[in-house]
Parts: sequence; structure tokens; C-alpha cells
Amino acid sequence: MTVLRFLARRLAYSLVVLVGVLTVVFALVHLVPGDPVRLALGTRYTPAAYQALREASGLDQPLISQFFGYLGHAATGNLGVSFRNGEPVTENLLGRLPATVSLALVGIMLALAIALPAGIYSALREGRASDAIVRITSQFGVSVPDFWLGILLISLFSTTLGWLPTSGYRPLLEDPAGWLRHVILPGLTVGVVAAAIMTRYVRSAVLEVTAMGYVRTARSKGLPPRVVTMRHTVRNALVPILTISGIQLATILSGVIVVEVVFAWPGLGRLVFNSVAARDYPVIQGAVLLMAVLFLVVNLLVDLLYAVVDPRIRLS
Amino acid sequence: MDMRLVAAILAAVVVLASAGCSTGQRVDLGQDAGNLIAAIAGEPDQLDPQKTSSYFSFEVLENVFDTLVEPDADLTMRPALAESWQTSPDQLVWTFRLRPGVTFHDGSPFTADDVVYSYRRIIDEELTNVDKFSAVSDVSAVDDHTVRIILSRPTPNLLTNLGGFKGMAIVQRRNVEDGQIATHPIGTGPFSFVSQKRGDSISLRANAQYWGGAPKIPGVTYRFISEPSTALSALQAGEVDWTDAVPPQRVSQLRNDDSVHLAETPSNDYWYLALNEARAPWNDVRVRQAVAYAIDRPSIVQATSYGTAQANQLAIPQGNPWYVPYDRYSRDLERARSLLQEAGAAPESMDLLVTSDYPQTVTAAQVIADNLAPLGITVNIRTVDFASWLDDQNSGRFDMLMMGWLGNIDPDDFYYAQHHTDGASNAQKFSDPRVDALLDAGRTETDHRARKQDYAQAATLIADEVSYLYLYNPAVIQAWTPALSGYQARRDKAIRFRDAVLDSGGADR
Repeated sequence: MTVLRFLARRLAYSLVVLVGVLTVVFALVHLVPGDPVRLALGTRYTPAAYQALREASGLDQPLISQFFGYLGHAATGNLGVSFRNGEPVTENLLGRLPATVSLALVGIMLALAIALPAGIYSALREGRASDAIVRITSQFGVSVPDFWLGILLISLFSTTLGWLPTSGYRPLLEDPAGWLRHVILPGLTVGVVAAAIMTRYVRSAVLEVTAMGYVRTARSKGLPPRVVTMRHTVRNALVPILTISGIQLATILSGVIVVEVVFAWPGLGRLVFNSVAARDYPVIQGAVLLMAVLFLVVNLLVDLLYAVVDPRIRLS
Repeated sequence: MDMRLVAAILAAVVVLASAGCSTGQRVDLGQDAGNLIAAIAGEPDQLDPQKTSSYFSFEVLENVFDTLVEPDADLTMRPALAESWQTSPDQLVWTFRLRPGVTFHDGSPFTADDVVYSYRRIIDEELTNVDKFSAVSDVSAVDDHTVRIILSRPTPNLLTNLGGFKGMAIVQRRNVEDGQIATHPIGTGPFSFVSQKRGDSISLRANAQYWGGAPKIPGVTYRFISEPSTALSALQAGEVDWTDAVPPQRVSQLRNDDSVHLAETPSNDYWYLALNEARAPWNDVRVRQAVAYAIDRPSIVQATSYGTAQANQLAIPQGNPWYVPYDRYSRDLERARSLLQEAGAAPESMDLLVTSDYPQTVTAAQVIADNLAPLGITVNIRTVDFASWLDDQNSGRFDMLMMGWLGNIDPDDFYYAQHHTDGASNAQKFSDPRVDALLDAGRTETDHRARKQDYAQAATLIADEVSYLYLYNPAVIQAWTPALSGYQARRDKAIRFRDAVLDSGGADR
């Protein structure tokens, strides 16, 4: 029952957040200068064509009625149609979702695979040379621009070695091997940057636990260092690690525009990139809404996982 | 989490990945096997040729649709869907004889009604290219294979208007009326549309019934790769056969690379500066000329294109039949200062409007600011997105702006809208009765030599009076695998794959 009540409360809270996000995005998008109708029509058009498109896209209505009209439709899953090509926004967004989600999951898995061992190792050797190396490397990773890393990986693994394709995407369900070959380089690019950030969090989380009394007790009991590390230290450091992983995953889900552009990855990021350039309000609004939903879902999952990882945490 | 689990997952990923790897292999999905793979720099916004204004759309649609006539490699208009045509002695009635036996991709026959429908659609719905019909008073079908066009005034460039580019394509009524044309276009061209993967690619299949002969390749797959260095890597890795997304800074290196064929052709595009003549002191021709004498074109060409573009003081590049030599301006600061003095003007600042959507305008703006500093003019570079740029241009909120025009063929397209007092794109508010008279005359002059004379004079006046301060013609830069033959880079940037041949021994496939 507690879980259900928790979920219901979280859902209500999420709804409030979503309406807030929509309000801000709607305001931002409409306050930015530039007339989308003029842009859609190009350099030559008649006043009649201008008026017709303005009316058809609802842009002649007062802002406030545009906003409530949009909210009403959004509640039923109808996010309108694209200014650019008249396609339904909801369909368009859902079509891009698999590419983005699969890239984000691979990215976060690679990031964890790097950050967990590196962070734990670094924490256990605090102050030694190997700790310094990990910390310097991760600082370097944080500072590397992702487009540069992407281009570097392409030139090494695709052009020079010829191991992996430079770019493109295959749906996982249609062509699993093709999907894997195509996802590795963009996944690595996303993963390395996220790993650099996460390594630092893992390190400090583990360090904090290492200073606890129960770790000292376990050690003085004569438990082997391996057991102390895995069962007492890392287990207890998992909650903050889970938090940062969740934030990173949500960030990747909503913000891999550059990586998607470099690797010609047909995900949400590229759609947003093109839509902003074209002032395609319905698509931009829909994409931001979808990203907010993804963010909330990830956060909810992380909160549920807290209880699994640490039974002392009650869902309330 | 258990470390062993992490290690196991990681190991599995590595093993699976290397199992799928082999050098330079192309993973083609069944139906697209053997296709020519072209990397273009962006995704078409829609596939209705009469409505889109996106170059990415035309890169695809050039191969799907036909026009009545079309430009050959020298940009001379040749028969396409029209086999032949006749003009009445007063030049007001044009009768086109259509090619018999042509079918649309869905098998339905192509007839005169399709031509009438296509043209009426552009005229009645006032689509982007309605200007091309400004002299047309009637379009009618005489019989199934004859179309008659009646003009209100002689129009020597009618053929260029009707076939200069695929925006004037002949579309199918049913395809338009069932709303499919924007996503599933049906044409008469050498390739038919198969499918589009959003954000990823578009596939075309060879049209075995094509009136010009069936293409020799089974189809074309267009991949959307907007990062040029990725597109070039994909070409070098053998994943794509052709691309026009070539980073200009890599051009000099590619010239010496035997594994890639590089084409550099001067295009009919041009980039220009325009001074707002509705504002003082830019309404004084001497002030505009002073600016023209202060601009250093070679530096702008170097900065914007790594030297691949061609500096030009007029719009039309050398090699084009309408080219006129002209070299009045070169950097001369003394001259610029004395012109300013003569005009009694000492402008201290200039609002230069550029847009980040066309990065060359931002780059050039830096050079221009530096060029004008010695005249005591502080250039305030205002970088906005293209939507705002258009707003500001159309409402005259600028001192000077930089922009380009793309892919014109007939001189009327180069000058009329931009420099005629009543021109639709005359945002700089230039007005000169001599230029107006010449441009009006050029629209109706049927004697080719006299017409050429008119436009040569008009072009010279436009540059003398600095309506536009022309900068350069960018190069058409394309790269393709040596295994591709039967393809030429064209100066009008039309991408035609109808005669392409892919030698299977050359690329990794």
C-alpha cells in the first residue's frame, strides 16, 4: 500500500512539474524574436499566403488562448502538427525515442563500467599516485568537448582501423548486430564524458563511507579487504552513486544533441536541433515535454531503487 | 552492484561488437543492396517539389521529378517531358509537344492535363515559384500530348522559368489531392521514392520505365549526415559513395588524395553585402562606394571558404554565358576617404546584420569590421538566427547586411527581384530608373544579343551604384568514390544520378 500511495503522490507531483515546464517553454519559445510563419514561407510569399498559414497554425490567436488550447490537446496526447511539414508531433517524437533511449542506455552502462571501478579504486588508494592519475584523467574527461572526442573516435576506429561504421543507426529489433556496431562509438562518446563526471562522485561517496565506524569494525574483525570493500563500503556508498547515475542518465536522455549530430544519429537531439533552427514551435514544445517526462520517469525509478538498495529507506 | 557482473557485461559487449566487425563492411538492408549511397548535409523538410524551399529536398527530388524542359551541363534548356516546342510570331503563344509513352511511377500515364494541373496549382495557390508565371495568362491542354501557354508579354526566359529547377516539377493530381506528395511523392523521373527513415535516410529505386533510359544503378540511398567531417570519414571508410558535405578546410588535402575524387566547380550562387538606402548616410552613393573601396575581397574569400570560392565584383561567375567582366573596385583607402569627404559624411558606426544559420556571414563580418575601421567606422556585428534576420531585413532594421542567393540561371533571376524599384526582394530600397528600364527591357527582349547587352549594362550600373556589393561565388564542392562514374558536379548544384555507374570492384561492398 505504501508503494501505491507513494506512486500516486509522485504522479500528482509530476503533473504539476510538467505543467510548470510547459509554461516556461511556451513562454520562452514565443518570446524569442523571429516569425515562424515568415521563416516557413521563405523569402517570397504573398500577404494572403502569410495570413492563411498564420491562421492555419493558430498563431493569430492571443497567446493565452494558444497556451490553454495547447494544454488541452497535450492532455489527450495530441501535441499538434509540425509547422515545417504538417506531420503529427507525437508520432514524430515517438519515432525518435528508440534511437535516443538506446544510445542513452549504452552510454550510461559504459559510464558505469568505467566510473565504478575507477572511482572505487581511486578512493581506496586515496592520496597515492594511482589516485592522482584517476583524478587527473577524470578532470581531463570532464573538459573534453564531446564533438571533438566523437570526431577523434571516428577517425581512429572507422577511417584508420575500419572496425566500426562512422555514423548512422539500425533499429535494435530489426538488426541487433547492426545496432550494436553503430551504437558503440556514439555510446562511448557519451559514456566517457559521463564517466568522467561520475568517477568523481563515486570516489567521494566511497571515501565518505570508508571513514565510518562500521567499516573500521569490519576491518578490525579481520575480514578480508575484498569483503570489507564490496559488502560494507561499496554497498553503503550505492545510494549517492544511484543518485548521480540517475541524474546523468536523465541528462543524457535530454541532451545528446551534439553527439547525435556528429554521428548522424536519428534521435530526439537532432530533431530538436533542426526544429529550433526552423522555429518549429510544436515540435520544440513536444520535445521538451517528452524530455521532462523522461526526467521524471528516471527520477521515479531511482527513488524506487533506493528502497531496494537500502532497505532502511522507506518510501514516504 | 557486483563487480563481476559489470565485468561480464563489458566483456559481452566487446565480444559481440568484434564479432560484428569486419573491415570497411557496408551493412545494407536487403532492398537497398547495391544502391549508390549519398551523404547529404540535412534532412528534407518535405518532399513536395512545388512547396519546399529546402536544398536538401531538391537534392533528392531532382531524381524523382521532371520538368517540361531542363538545363543541360552548360545550363542551356533542353527537352525533357516536352519533346519540342513552337513559338508564335508575336512570341505570345508557346505550344509544347509532350513526349509520348511517359508514365508516372505508379504506372498511370503522363498527359497534358498533368502539366496544366501542376502549373495551375502553382499559380492558383500562389506557391513559392508563382513569380515564374508572372507573364503567363493561360495554360491549357490542346490534346493529350499538347500544352499551350499564352503570355501577356514576350518572355525570352520562359524555358528557364519552366525548367530551371525542380520547383517547377510536373506533379500528379492524385498524389497531391490525397495529401501524399509531401511524404510519398510520385513523379516521372529516373528514380521512384521508396521510403524515408526519419532523421536517417531516404531510399529511391531505379525507374526501369524512365523515358531517358533506365538508370544503371539499382537505386539511391540518401543519408543525412550534417557534420561534414563525419560525412568525409564515411566516404573514406567506403560507407558512402558520394557527398557534398565536405569541410572546406580539408579541400587542399583532398586534392592530392587519390582515394577520393574531388570536384570543385564555381557555382551560380553568390554572396553580397547590401547597404540600407532608406537610412542616411548610406543613401548617398559616394558613401556606399567608399565602403566598396574599403572591402578586401580576397581576405573575405580566404576566411569564409579557405580560398575555394571565387572573388567577384558582379553576381554571375566567369564561365557562365551571362558573365560580364568588371573590376572597378579594389581596396583603396585613400579613395574611400576622399569619397566620404566629398559626401560630407563621417559615419561613426554601422549596424551589420548577419546570421549564425549561415556561418560565412559571421566570419566575413569580422573581416569587414576590420576593413572599415581605418575609415573611422565602428562596425557593430549583430548576429541573430535566420528567422530574426529575415524579420529585420524585411522591416529595414539594419545599416548593412550580408546574405547569399542560390542557383539562378537566367539573368532576370539574378537582378529583377533584387534591384528593380518594385522588386520583391529589394530590401535595401535601391531605386534607379536606368536599372528599372534595363531590367524591364530584358524581360521582353527576344533578341539574344540585345538582351545580353541590357543585362551587362544593368549589372554594371548595379555595381557602380552599389545596390549590392557583390563579394564572391562559392564553389560547388563534392567528393565521391573513384568507383563512381557517369556523374558530374553541376554549377547549378542539381544532383543528377540518372547516368551514374558504380564499378563494384572499386568500393568495399
